[in-house]
Amino acid sequence: MDTVVTNQEIFVVLKQFIGEVIGQEFADELDIRPESSFTKDLEMDSIEIVAFSEKVKKRFGAEINFTGWLSGMDIDQLIALTINDIIIFIQECQSLK
Amino acid sequence: MAIRFSFVVPPLAGHVNPTLGLGTELLRRGHAVAWISLDPSLPLPKGGELLLIAGEEHRDKISRKNVYGIESIKFLYDEVLIPLNRYMYDGVLEWIERWGAEVIINDHQLFAGAIAAYQLGVPYATSVTAPAAVKMMEDLPGVHEWEVQRMVGLQRELGLEGERCVACSDRMALLFTSREFFGEMELSSAYQFVGPVLGRPGGVSFDWERFERMRGRPRILVSIGTTFDHGQQLDFLQKVISAFGGEELSVVLVSDADLLPGWPENFLVQRRVPQLEILPHLDAVVCHGGHNTVCESLTNGLPLVVLPIAYDQSHVASRVVAADSGLRLNFKRSKPEELRGAVWEVLREGRYRDGALRIGRSFKEAGGVARAADLLESIK
Repeated sequence: MDTVVTNQEIFVVLKQFIGEVIGQEFADELDIRPESSFTKDLEMDSIEIVAFSEKVKKRFGAEINFTGWLSGMDIDQLIALTINDIIIFIQECQSLK
Repeated sequence: MAIRFSFVVPPLAGHVNPTLGLGTELLRRGHAVAWISLDPSLPLPKGGELLLIAGEEHRDKISRKNVYGIESIKFLYDEVLIPLNRYMYDGVLEWIERWGAEVIINDHQLFAGAIAAYQLGVPYATSVTAPAAVKMMEDLPGVHEWEVQRMVGLQRELGLEGERCVACSDRMALLFTSREFFGEMELSSAYQFVGPVLGRPGGVSFDWERFERMRGRPRILVSIGTTFDHGQQLDFLQKVISAFGGEELSVVLVSDADLLPGWPENFLVQRRVPQLEILPHLDAVVCHGGHNTVCESLTNGLPLVVLPIAYDQSHVASRVVAADSGLRLNFKRSKPEELRGAVWEVLREGRYRDGALRIGRSFKEAGGVARAADLLESIK
């Protein structure tokens, strides 16, 4: 990605990835918000979170070390992880450019 | 020369079963074999010795909580494994010395066995009965690192200084799977793929007559294992009934028959089934992704529909999909129609059966108990 994107744009992309991972018909039934947590609110299991992170890496990878960031998380951080955490992380990486 | 082998096992059927088959082979070769365990009713092979550690209240902790996803890993370590290992450590240490074990085989989750062996200078191998847990190191390194810190913390508590985790032997770790099913990952030479060791306690009664009458349409097994709580089981059973009640399928369901007042006529419900004996007669299996049930199904060339609930099961399920031997559904989200659709898909599409047969062959080629016993004999 060459252009800096807004929080809202990132959110839309992440939401789309969630739909791709868990199935769009399930995603439509969920109230997915920036503050939604992957484990508690979206009930995504570990492999689904890994699959989701692959997609984020593919999309934003050139400019951010998303996998590295996620790999560094311990179990409590991973359980608490929300969509917003990822948006903030991507924004921070972009502002460093 | 005869060697005195002692297994150290947790009170979890899935972790004990492979050691029973392996122990039987070691006994057949003339070795002395013992099991250090909390379970007084361990169904040991003839000649096997039970080295019992008293502690009823530590036995079935795992089934008392509704756990799911990554949180289940935290629960597993903080509330089950660390307290269990802390509790068993003294007894393990004492039995190793008293019985005079010359080689310890610790379950990868019974790290107290590894710690005690290490401290006593007794050679030990590690029995990795849930190999997908190893794969998790790669998928979620942060979680793996967290697990290691928990184990190292316990080591320190038990008087073993240093940062190195000894839970898994650096001399030999037996992975009860094949390389093909496990998947790509760089591993140290200590890791040996011996294939699954199938072995379950015998003597389970079964309504074979009724099972025979269920012929004529596809017969499937539905089982979600032994470690999940009541609420989870009920939710799942309702889904299974909506999915398969009245379908052109015969369903062998592993469940307490009195959990529900009635069952569809095409269901045969028993709390325990002689799984290894009935699998050769079945066409597909629906399960939660426990390593043993998955391996037993694949050994019989049966395609799977896997609905992982917790622990390493999500990773087992993804291996089934990667090996083209079945489909994965989300345990919580999936609807009855999807479950039904997935079962018909694995029954009708030959590629899933082909995939299952291919993995089944890779299991046989891995050598099984004979190879595992050879490896263990070489360790002393």
